[in-house]
Amino acid sequence: MRRQLKLRILLAAAAAGILLFTVIFAGVIAPNDPYATNALAIRKAPCAAYPFGTDNLGRCVFSRVLFGGRTTIAATFFLVLLSFLAGTFIGMICGYCGGWADRLLMRIADILLSFPQMVVAIAVAGILNGGMKGAMIALGITMWVSFARLARSHTLSIRQEAYISSAILAGKSGLSIICTHVFPNLLAPLFTNALTQIGTTMIGLSGLSFLGLGVIPPTAEWGSMISEARAYIQIAPWAVIAPSLVTILTIVVFNYLGDLVMEYREAL
Amino acid sequence: MKTDDSREILLRGERLSKRFTDKDRQIDALSEVDVFLRRGEFLGVVGESGSGKSTLLKVISGLLPVDAGEIYCGEERMTGCGAREMGKRLQMIFQDAKSSFDPRFSMVHSILESGRGKRDLAEVRALIDLVGLDSVLLSRKPAALSGGQCQRMAIVRALYNGADILLCDEITSALDVSSQAQIVGILKKLKEQRGLAVLFVSHDIALVRMLCDRVLVMQNGRVVEGGRIANVVDDPQDPYTRQLIESARRQSL
Amino acid sequence: MTEAVLQISDLSAGYGQEQVLSQVSLTLHQGEVLCVAGESGSGKSTLLQVICGNHLPVSDADRAGRASFLRIESGSVRFQGEELTVTSPSQRRKRMGTQIGLIPQNPAGSFNPVRRLDAQFRETLKSHGIAYDRGEIVRVFDSIGLSEPEKLLRCRPYELSGGMNQRIAVAFAMLLAPTLLLCDEVTSALDVTTAITVIDELLKLKRERNMTMLFVTHHLGIAREIADRIAIMHRGRIVEEGPAKELLAHPSHEYTGKLLRDVPRMAEM
Repeated sequence: MRRQLKLRILLAAAAAGILLFTVIFAGVIAPNDPYATNALAIRKAPCAAYPFGTDNLGRCVFSRVLFGGRTTIAATFFLVLLSFLAGTFIGMICGYCGGWADRLLMRIADILLSFPQMVVAIAVAGILNGGMKGAMIALGITMWVSFARLARSHTLSIRQEAYISSAILAGKSGLSIICTHVFPNLLAPLFTNALTQIGTTMIGLSGLSFLGLGVIPPTAEWGSMISEARAYIQIAPWAVIAPSLVTILTIVVFNYLGDLVMEYREAL
Repeated sequence: MKTDDSREILLRGERLSKRFTDKDRQIDALSEVDVFLRRGEFLGVVGESGSGKSTLLKVISGLLPVDAGEIYCGEERMTGCGAREMGKRLQMIFQDAKSSFDPRFSMVHSILESGRGKRDLAEVRALIDLVGLDSVLLSRKPAALSGGQCQRMAIVRALYNGADILLCDEITSALDVSSQAQIVGILKKLKEQRGLAVLFVSHDIALVRMLCDRVLVMQNGRVVEGGRIANVVDDPQDPYTRQLIESARRQSL
Repeated sequence: MTEAVLQISDLSAGYGQEQVLSQVSLTLHQGEVLCVAGESGSGKSTLLQVICGNHLPVSDADRAGRASFLRIESGSVRFQGEELTVTSPSQRRKRMGTQIGLIPQNPAGSFNPVRRLDAQFRETLKSHGIAYDRGEIVRVFDSIGLSEPEKLLRCRPYELSGGMNQRIAVAFAMLLAPTLLLCDEVTSALDVTTAITVIDELLKLKRERNMTMLFVTHHLGIAREIADRIAIMHRGRIVEEGPAKELLAHPSHEYTGKLLRDVPRMAEM
């Protein structure tokens, strides 16, 4: 049972690894320039020169998917990492120190959580007038909350452990206890949460781009590619299908990985 | 009995009170408890679970703030100075031996870490010898040790820290009788060799009888009886103390 | 001599490659309390696991090598003439509770902490085909000195102390009235005064219902209070067995002497 689970985790991790690899080395793998327009090859069906066909401006869909993945995945990882760090830090401080700072921050978190995440994101991205930076801020505003809550509840239970009392009696400061005893013991559950957040964040970013609140054209991004190509879906369905499929694939792979890791940790 | 009443008082708590609020109920975990400990003396605190004996230790060690009352170390007033400061005078050993150590660190790491900057491996080895463990165990993590071994490691850590007062919170109640007997043996040895002063909280008055010079009997946050252990056991005044002694008698051999 | 309720002969069992029990033989007669005493790790709990049937079927050779599964190497365990080492899980389920009862060390862990006790009583009794009779439960609670039984039945286990849960587990055992009651370190998590109350309740059960008990403990002081006979277990073997009084007065094995010395004494000093 455990061995099988481990094998499945390795497979999912390998799939995630391949995805990351192709996206990182997009420059080497891509057969064409993703931004080069070609008036002679407009809406061409998939062929040897253009594996996924071309779009309305004759740009190579395959290359755009690769480079678009770069934008989407890089932004997702950056955003998850940032929320992870900020949320964990806030959660640990709240859980360890308690008091008015804890009450204030947790109230803010409650307020943010009381709206659907996407609604807040659309509103904020709208106010910030689009752009990838704006989209990231819009999603990040609610995303740290899940990390903060998780970190806080784990900190509260770690705080009760006798080794924390021992460390205090050994004269260690709150900050050093948080760094050496609390944070490392929190990492595993928070890392699992980060994995499952990757999928959600990707949907969020692509969704905002689809609505025109994310990347500014002509930058390649999966959501905006789908949005652009959907106008001529009857003529060139490949221009919609390719970015849609990779979006689904990436989200499934990361969510599956996150779920497996969570299951594995619970089985411990 | 070799308690010398002229020995200096290391630790003193006066009229210590602590109240917990749970929803709308208020629980007086400690009401006006007086306690003192002389150099080289073992003081037992007995009572059933919920009697406030663990709260007493937490309040004295500064891990919990007191609501009212004063704490002195020698002549110095220590009330409200917190556990970091109190840690220079006293150390604490907990009931759950395994959770007294960070699961990610080896024993030697945890022990050295508690030395306030001191890194004296030779001293750690000597202390390991003193509690009758093998220094091979130092490289292990808590999960790879038995409860009894972990508890002995916790004693090593407390001694390495250099405090001359030890607060013991039910340190043997999670162990089987054999490990318990080892811990008792170690504490007796420490009393003779190092003049350690110990506040020993336990529900088992038979253990306290074997180890301690004086005893306080607690019930519902109050001290109901106190004095020389021999006097209390031979001639208990309070009905609760009598019941405690009777239960312990039936279980001892 | 009455017929043996439990007859264990030459039982060897273990986890994976490790042997935990070696050639254990014990006999338990109707109305008798046998105490198995030894340190943690001596194999006492594994013995109870085997009697409860929590071991692999002998045929399941695939999983037998793994450390997480209890497997029987040789020997037999007979409960009222029925061989327990080879019975199927469904037979085991039918037997547990009404024929063999178990009071674990931490009964709070075997109750649902947030469900009212009366609901849990009803469900358990129903699953064993016993009619739920609130009056009977109240009477049992009364008889073991649990005050305010009606109020107690409306409580949830997490609201109660460890000692209280332990006593409710005793009440459970009384209602199901098993032929054989297994007690796994039932007093070690309790403080001294509560431990004695639980022991008194078990003694009453023995006196009034002539119940047969297998009592596992590391504490010989407790063993003396409750046992007719004591078996000392050390590293998976029974090193000494005999009537409680004789064994405690004249231990013949060196290890028994050590266990005896380890028990705190009131009279010392």
